[in-house]
Amino acid sequence: MEVLEAFAVALEALRAHKLRSFLTMLGVIIGVAAVIALVSVGQTVRSSVVGEFAELGPDLLWVFPGKADEGGPVPTAEGRLTLTYDDARAISRGAPSVSDVTPFLQTSIEVAAGSEKAVTTVIGTTPNLLTVRSLRVRYGRFLQEADLVRRNRVAVIGETLARALFRLPSRAVGRTVTIGGRAFTVVGVLVPEGSMLGVDLDDRAYLPLTTAQQLFNINYASFLFVKARDVGSVARAMRETQRILLREHGDEDFTVLTQSQLLGSLNAILRILTIALSSIGAISLLVGGIGIMNIMLVSVTERTREIGIRKAVGARRMDILTQFLIEAIGISLIGGILGTVVGLGIAFGISSKLFESRPSLADSLPIVVLAFSFSTLVGVAFGVYPAWRAAGLHPIEALRYE
Amino acid sequence: MTAEARAAARPDAPAVVALQDVTKVYRMGRVDVPALRAVTLQIARGEYVAIMGPSGSGKSTLMNLIGCLDRPTSGSYLLDGQDVSRMTDDQFADVRNRRIGFVFQTFNLLARMSALRNVELPLLYGGVPRAERRRRAFAALEQVGLAGRVAHTPQELSGGEQQRVAIARALVGTPAILLADEPTGNLDSHAGDEILAIFQELNGGGITLAMVTHDGRVAEHARRILSLRDGLLVSDELVAQPIIARRPLAG
Repeated sequence: MEVLEAFAVALEALRAHKLRSFLTMLGVIIGVAAVIALVSVGQTVRSSVVGEFAELGPDLLWVFPGKADEGGPVPTAEGRLTLTYDDARAISRGAPSVSDVTPFLQTSIEVAAGSEKAVTTVIGTTPNLLTVRSLRVRYGRFLQEADLVRRNRVAVIGETLARALFRLPSRAVGRTVTIGGRAFTVVGVLVPEGSMLGVDLDDRAYLPLTTAQQLFNINYASFLFVKARDVGSVARAMRETQRILLREHGDEDFTVLTQSQLLGSLNAILRILTIALSSIGAISLLVGGIGIMNIMLVSVTERTREIGIRKAVGARRMDILTQFLIEAIGISLIGGILGTVVGLGIAFGISSKLFESRPSLADSLPIVVLAFSFSTLVGVAFGVYPAWRAAGLHPIEALRYE
Repeated sequence: MTAEARAAARPDAPAVVALQDVTKVYRMGRVDVPALRAVTLQIARGEYVAIMGPSGSGKSTLMNLIGCLDRPTSGSYLLDGQDVSRMTDDQFADVRNRRIGFVFQTFNLLARMSALRNVELPLLYGGVPRAERRRRAFAALEQVGLAGRVAHTPQELSGGEQQRVAIARALVGTPAILLADEPTGNLDSHAGDEILAIFQELNGGGITLAMVTHDGRVAEHARRILSLRDGLLVSDELVAQPIIARRPLAG
């Protein structure tokens, strides 16, 4: 029998039990949609996070507190918060291949201006963050060396925070905000950066590191940005930084990572995340496949007489096998198409909400192809046994079946 | 006159069906139940044979063997001169497809398909191209007087009409023999007569027919009656004057 005929026969059988076919398909639809949505979102997270770090430039090094465990990709920041402003200055002075060192102290705290209040991210840092992070000032000025030396109570704020506290960002400069019970003067508002991973990068306040340390009564920084003189001197800058910190601390209680190492670690973590997510999708696809097998077995039993008739008029084993296999594949293929549409819809929805960026169709293509072929495979794998049972029926017994 | 003698008397009509010492034993649990015991018979081209016997006599078993739905336990079976008793399942399927036409008591049409599609079915498995399939199926339906009903599904047809569709399906592959198992069993006498009239018409046109029935009056429409009892062929007689079925099919 021609393949085209076999498809027509299979479609006819699926149409004869619309609700049942749809419910069976639903398992595949959910499975494929889950795989595509989860993996696409995972990919978007990855490219967005990785892109964000990559934007910082290949000449950047990160110094984290704590020694990286063997095999552990990123050191934990907890426990040994030993990096200080002095460390940063020591590196600045002693490392010829380093152009800039910026300590970064980050915490979440309530900021108030009059009756307006907002919980925001407060960052203690030094003036050269402006160049390291490529920030731009919209109104007023950024932090200056003098602020650091005198521990001035000044703050530079992001546009979102400025809007929340003062309605108009242009009116923020010169006003007073209260952070941790102390009054700070707003000296600048930054050009908006947008958001990353659903985190608004403009909902921030930058304080001089020394002022922030005094405010929170601590003497360390969360981590240090170290900028090499140029891309070619990254390895040297790394060795110099390590040597100086080792001398300062007397113990290797820190970890220096280059951008590519950090990206590698991030990529590894996010890849595991993506694999975990797609496994969840794959399991639902598997459950969908079992649903197909179940329905196909019912269908074979129900249509025993039909199989007997077909055999009596000359259908071979292969003809019957193909017919039921195509039915199973038909269910999973149609389910796969619908699932792809639903999955891409979900992925686009989540991505545009979280990242203000849409995953491109080209990015999703491999996973669409994968989910598609996987769903077809599911149809074959779970359709073979029922089809084989149908093909093996004895014509006389099949014809006698009531 | 024995079957062998008759075949010998008509050398111009070679046997379509030739069974030699055919035995069929079914295994029911631990007991072997013989359904046919050393049956030897021949059906020549152009014959119209009725196979009679009470239930359990083995007539359905014989029909299944002749129709290549089942294999004999022992003995040989030549269909159209070819030994089919040791064929594989797929070879059997091909033989059923090209040389056998079945008509069942319960019609056995596919409910979701139109009459035309039902009749096309054997040609579909025979690999006949679509256009020729259509043409031949239509011609077969015309032959049984259903040219105006090709698009109807079985449930839109009367019992007699359904059986005529089944006959068209049996004929469409131009089989060597048409086998009918109680073809009038589910029909009223009027519709039954219609079917018997069609059979006689087909036989008149040269088609070989074998029909299983337990109804003596139905059997009298054939030209020869084989009687089975307890798996043995007990009589083989020519019908002196077959009953001529009324021809309700006008034109």
